[in-house]
Amino acid sequence: MPLIELERICFSYTPEDAPVLRDFSLSVEAGECVALRGDNGAGKTTLFRILNGLSFPQEGVYRFDGEAVTPALLKNQRRAKLFHKRIGYLFQNPDVMLFNASVREEIAFGPRQMGLPEAEIAARTADCLALFGLEPLADKAPYHLSGGQKKQVALAAVLSLNPEVLILDEPLAGLDARTRGRLLPLLAELRQAGKTLLVATHDEGLVEALDARTVRVGGMHNA
Amino acid sequence: MHIPENYLSPVSCAVMGAAMIPVWVHAVKKTDRELPKEKLPLLGAGAAFSFLAMMFNVPLVGGTTGHAVGGTLIALLFGPNAACLAVSVALLLQAVIFGDGGVLAFGANCFNMAFVLPYVGYGVYRLLLGKQNGRTSDARPYGASLGTSDARPYEGGTGGIRPYVAAFIGSYVGLNLAALCCAVEFGIQPMLFKDAAGNALYCPYDLGVAIPAMMIPHLAVAGFVEAVFTVAVFALVRKTAPDLSYERMLADAPEAGKKKKYIPVFALIAVLIAACPLGLLATGTAWGEWGADEIAEIVTDGKALGYTPSGLESGWSLDVPMPDYALEGMNETLAYILSAVIGVALLIIIFKLISIPMKGRRNPS
Amino acid sequence: MIPGWMKQTEQYAPPRDGGAFAIRTLRAMGGVLARIRVQRGRDGLGIPPVAKLLLLLAGLVTLALAQNRLLLLAIAALVLGYLCLLPARTLWAVLRPALGAALLTLLLFLPAMYIRPAGAGNNWVVIGKVFLSVTMVSLFNQRTQWNRITAALRKLRVPGIFVFVLDLTLKYIVLLGGLIVDLLTARGLRAVGRDRHKYRSVGGVLGVTLLRASELSRETWEAMVCRGFTDDYKGL
Repeated sequence: MPLIELERICFSYTPEDAPVLRDFSLSVEAGECVALRGDNGAGKTTLFRILNGLSFPQEGVYRFDGEAVTPALLKNQRRAKLFHKRIGYLFQNPDVMLFNASVREEIAFGPRQMGLPEAEIAARTADCLALFGLEPLADKAPYHLSGGQKKQVALAAVLSLNPEVLILDEPLAGLDARTRGRLLPLLAELRQAGKTLLVATHDEGLVEALDARTVRVGGMHNA
Repeated sequence: MHIPENYLSPVSCAVMGAAMIPVWVHAVKKTDRELPKEKLPLLGAGAAFSFLAMMFNVPLVGGTTGHAVGGTLIALLFGPNAACLAVSVALLLQAVIFGDGGVLAFGANCFNMAFVLPYVGYGVYRLLLGKQNGRTSDARPYGASLGTSDARPYEGGTGGIRPYVAAFIGSYVGLNLAALCCAVEFGIQPMLFKDAAGNALYCPYDLGVAIPAMMIPHLAVAGFVEAVFTVAVFALVRKTAPDLSYERMLADAPEAGKKKKYIPVFALIAVLIAACPLGLLATGTAWGEWGADEIAEIVTDGKALGYTPSGLESGWSLDVPMPDYALEGMNETLAYILSAVIGVALLIIIFKLISIPMKGRRNPS
Repeated sequence: MIPGWMKQTEQYAPPRDGGAFAIRTLRAMGGVLARIRVQRGRDGLGIPPVAKLLLLLAGLVTLALAQNRLLLLAIAALVLGYLCLLPARTLWAVLRPALGAALLTLLLFLPAMYIRPAGAGNNWVVIGKVFLSVTMVSLFNQRTQWNRITAALRKLRVPGIFVFVLDLTLKYIVLLGGLIVDLLTARGLRAVGRDRHKYRSVGGVLGVTLLRASELSRETWEAMVCRGFTDDYKGL
């Protein structure tokens, strides 16, 4: 049974507008890696919003782990929280993800939510800081970091929740060569560790490094 | 705390609106001097923030939520004068776009939330902080911009918990005084504006009901929401961008500086505010006791004279010293307008007096 | 090397906990933003915005001053008569806030009516007035574009500075409101358990919004300077 299954999804923001996604189907097995390609405005971010239960398609079904994701399902708080715990989402714009007073608190937010003991929260946070070499920035305000640093902090904050599925919207866009050089093997390693990855990217190198199956979104290629 | 349309009589609305005019004039003038050059976009940003903050649901116990006004917070960051203007703009948009708070009651809403709240909140904050903070913020040069401020991530401005305690108490007191003003505005309506049978024409609750009804929830809940909200946001901003505060702006503005002299200003304003509802209250009860129901009825509406004589014939003229009700009515209206004019004039005079020592000090430096 | 715990799939049973404040705020913000964004087209009656604004103010003042029941009835008839001409969807958008305000007033006034039944008539008048004034304001909104309203204010000799701040505020509300929605959404995705530090989240979201606000204002000003603005706000 696929972990993620989209069946003939249609979505438009308002009834008057043309649909962003039309009859879109996708099936992803656990541990698989899918690269979503498509022009700007093709609906990749919309698709990600649907996958995260932030928007719901007007037609078609989205099943996660065999269960249809509907507004009714996510009304149940516990189900919704478990769902969000299992899926991690890196927004395209990391600015909207960072609202804590320091990088350390930002990363600790997820584990703290899960009610882990303080020692484990600290350990997880330290691990995630080390993973990105963010230790020198730990006590800085995320607000003041550079774009690339913000992206890494946002990804670290998602990883600290240890989700099974990672949905990454343009994870490497706008990063310098050195940061990219650090993230590329890290993502590959996450894939090897059995995480399910869905990545929207224009980066050929990333698709190759992840050995990802490519799926086209939007426009004429919608089928 | 948004007063809707028609809860207050048009006369009250006009009086409150008139009272705000000198406040706005003062705020515009002061803002012009104190804030950095990018003041206008900053006012827009402050107003937008104020608008959004008023829509923000703040968690309360047991899954319930409440709204904060955020007047004190904006005063802490942009100064009370800019806060007054920002909150006023936000209130205007709420009234006009969303029907939240009356268009005619705009003056009254501004008086409570854009005048009393930020000035009192900020005044209390300054008083509690005393000189200690003044010295420290003088000592630190403004130079550091937002970008470099993360060099000292956790020691935003003056250290310690004191600014937060001051902000907490300041916003709590500010909100509750604003609520008190609101309650008084409601409460004097049935005293002043009744129909022939003595029934209230606008808000039906007198001071005895309006004050506890407004104050109990505000003292018990809303004040704390406002205070916790203020401290929470203030804390993050101070940690993240210690330079974004009113003190720093004053230090930066070439002519402002010398914060200490603001303390008497705020003391004065606080006295003024305390006196203001008392004055209204005093006149209210005086009218309530002395004038029979009919007088209030006449006060309310000049046109009413046309259709009330039936009520007046029923033995009323016997008790009243002046039988010429028309003249009596005119006197009351006139008295109301005159006292409004006096109030406005007093406000202007006080603000002018306040500005004298400041000008004097600024010139030599 | 990714740490060992990250390689494992962990079992997790989330606790029950209300994130009601975030949900409600998101709903409120969504409504506000939609309302500002959707405000386009559909100018009714073909009356110029200045006239509409003056008409609205005159209507509100008349309504507030009116004690004569006949006059009140006449105003009600006029407003409701005009409402009848609207399409259903607009009608509901106009009536919803008005009904809400009237209902709230009714609830507030019920004790007074109970205590003093003689005054109930007047209380009903106030409730009716509240309903009518909110209806008038929201009618005005539904039928007038915002940029026309600010243009109307300019024509009424409202100082340019004020109109400029008003326009800017609306623009910032859309920008910052969008930021709040995004921040709360992103927070919601990570708020997978019990939040013992809700106020920290509130402070964080609004604090970041405030910082962004001050940054936006600085950028706007810099952009104005770059386009030749010389600190003369009177010419705006």
